[in-house]
Amino acid sequence: MTITLYDFELSGNCYKLRLLMSILNLPYDIVPVDFFPGREHKSDAFLRLNPFGQLPVLRDDDLVLSDSGAILAYLAIKYDASGLWFPDDPATTAEVLRWHAVADDITSTSSAARLALGYDYKFDIEKSQQGAHRIFRLMDEHLWFGEKAGRDWLCSPAHPTTADIACFPYVMLSEEGGISRQDYPALRRWTDRVRRIPGFVVMSGIFPAGPARAE
Amino acid sequence: MPLSLSDPHWYPIASSDDLPFRHVYQGQLLGRELAVWRADDGHVNVWENRCLHRGVRLSIGINEGQELKCQYHGWRYANQSAGCTYIPAHPADAPARRIENRKYPMREAFGLIWSAANDDQAFVPFPGAGDHDWFALRPVPVNAAPEDVVAGLARLAPDDQPADLLPGMAVRLDGVVYFVQPVDAGRAVIRGLLPQASGDPITILRHYNELLTRLRDRLERAAARKPAPEPLQPAYEKVSADLATMPEIAIPRGNTLPVLVRRKWQTADGVIGFELAGRDGKHLPTFQPGAHIDLHLPNGLIRQYSITNGPGDLLSYVIGVKAESASKGGSKVLVETVREGDVLAISEPRNNFPLRRDATRTVLIAGGIGITPLLSMARFLDQSSLPYELHYFTRSGESAAFKSELDVLHGAVHIHSGLAREAIQGTVNEVLGPHDFANHVYVCGPGAMLEMVTRTAAALGWPDEAVHFEYFQNDKVIDSSSAFDVELARSAMTLHVPAGRTILEVMREAGLTVPSSCEQGACGTCLTTVMEGEVDHQDVYLNKTEKASNTCMMTCVSRAKSARLVLDI
Repeated sequence: MTITLYDFELSGNCYKLRLLMSILNLPYDIVPVDFFPGREHKSDAFLRLNPFGQLPVLRDDDLVLSDSGAILAYLAIKYDASGLWFPDDPATTAEVLRWHAVADDITSTSSAARLALGYDYKFDIEKSQQGAHRIFRLMDEHLWFGEKAGRDWLCSPAHPTTADIACFPYVMLSEEGGISRQDYPALRRWTDRVRRIPGFVVMSGIFPAGPARAE
Repeated sequence: MPLSLSDPHWYPIASSDDLPFRHVYQGQLLGRELAVWRADDGHVNVWENRCLHRGVRLSIGINEGQELKCQYHGWRYANQSAGCTYIPAHPADAPARRIENRKYPMREAFGLIWSAANDDQAFVPFPGAGDHDWFALRPVPVNAAPEDVVAGLARLAPDDQPADLLPGMAVRLDGVVYFVQPVDAGRAVIRGLLPQASGDPITILRHYNELLTRLRDRLERAAARKPAPEPLQPAYEKVSADLATMPEIAIPRGNTLPVLVRRKWQTADGVIGFELAGRDGKHLPTFQPGAHIDLHLPNGLIRQYSITNGPGDLLSYVIGVKAESASKGGSKVLVETVREGDVLAISEPRNNFPLRRDATRTVLIAGGIGITPLLSMARFLDQSSLPYELHYFTRSGESAAFKSELDVLHGAVHIHSGLAREAIQGTVNEVLGPHDFANHVYVCGPGAMLEMVTRTAAALGWPDEAVHFEYFQNDKVIDSSSAFDVELARSAMTLHVPAGRTILEVMREAGLTVPSSCEQGACGTCLTTVMEGEVDHQDVYLNKTEKASNTCMMTCVSRAKSARLVLDI
């Protein structure tokens, strides 16, 4: 198998795949796509790979896939022998996919604000920021009650899933979109936990958390 | 009533549960952003949320347990004092102890963390605080003016049972006490305390969370119809002028501070431990691994002792004193006459034996009581999970000092007991091995041992800058028979140093303030840059390379071979 990631280094959606592949210890090649300022994701060559003109695209031998959430599920089902990252259980699968959808909402709000402030995109900044705050409030509440019930992650299993990977990057990058996380202490603690997953890698704007306290 | 930046009230700024170990919480009170973190010893630090270096938020930094590391350039600040302990860009130097972040008062009580904008008021628990055990509700941030939030909470009360308004933006309502944390002019957090009661806590917490969420939505809708209040404008103090400029050449001796002997105990045969604490219960000044204090003894003598503490451990200093050297007069008084409860004067910590934290391999070699600075170093490396090995040589029949402290370290700690001279030499040879890039060795112990280690290291190809040592004392016989002139370039003075007097004494007589400590060429405090002339080195502080460079000297014992020396003083 040869995995190739069509990647933009500053993209949180591409980073989701780099993060999971690092955790799963999967080797892969990178083809850099100049998303900004080159808009290479709208070039003819790229549109032949993904007619939607969006990053990331992943090629596994002859199979070409797009959409970060779909690719996370694909990688986990195919390459995670432990079966933990995308559990094969109807209720849990629904739960994970529910949070994949939230991750897309985070992209259309938090990431949009970041693109507007840093990448010259003409999105409504205030509306994007308010949308992100609305989601972060709900996530903080969900995670706060999760901590009280002994649940550390977004979904019910006692371990992280692709839901956590999918939601993580644009939460961490929100300040580049002018969205403070000061009001979301439980969300901030969850980002510490994600950053302590063995195999975690950083990207520009996402810092490491330092080790947990030895028990 | 509009919010005031100088409001002296205490307000809750976080729940205790918001501060797990190794996390940095981001908070705000009266417009000032806070970095709040719990150290491994449980102490909660409430600091201004910016690194003194480049202003980056410390809330994105790393809580290493006893130190907080800034994410940007890795400056480290100590638990309790907020003093800077390490600057990675200057790995071989000890940072000035004046680099200290701004702190705010802190109390942890009733499941909440409390703070205030200033120290003007003592913390007073809310009325009725002692009547119950309390647990904290989920905090609910509200984008509305704090005074409107207080009014909104009060309106939750039924007409026949009005809410009880408590001092400091608090409301008691149906047994629950709600505190409004004034985050900024247009932002607040509702923090509720509930008496411990029977029932499923999660159901209870959910009930109040729903109640407060509905209130929040109403308050935010009302706030959106009003013009947004101007945010508070806290002044960010500039870094003090003495930190932003090059220090004066003559650093005056630090003031002494009184300390209480809290504990005196025998930590090994012939080694007495002393725990010295501040008299007011507050923390002592920041130190770095390898630092020592001057201890002013009742008989007027001043002696140097290394601090054995680990990072962020500032509520007391622990030193080790060897009873055997009692005959020398200094330690004798300490061991024989100083008792628990006595008050002694110490200097602020000074560090002439700094520890690099960028080494790929760190070897610590201690002989006897020389364990004291190396114990501190091992504790710092341990806390940061940096690799190190500690080799502690004790004489036969002599037990290891600070054994229980050594036992809890995670690194490789080897105690070599009762080895003969050749066996020690062989072990050191084996332990050091050939020098590799970024390997460093630190050694402290008797003079003969230091000479053996430095000689062995040199023979194995270790460069002088990788071999760090600290002598307790200079055993060499000082030859003070020469007479010469010293020209002090900055002070525009030429002084004659006659036989039998030191440069340091002559400079002080001429009215100059120059730092010194041990005054026997061991501690390094009087290190001075030499501009011209040939130095007659008689100290044990400088290494061979430094001595041969003829660019620096210790003015307390070293002299001139030439008729004239020019010093950068």
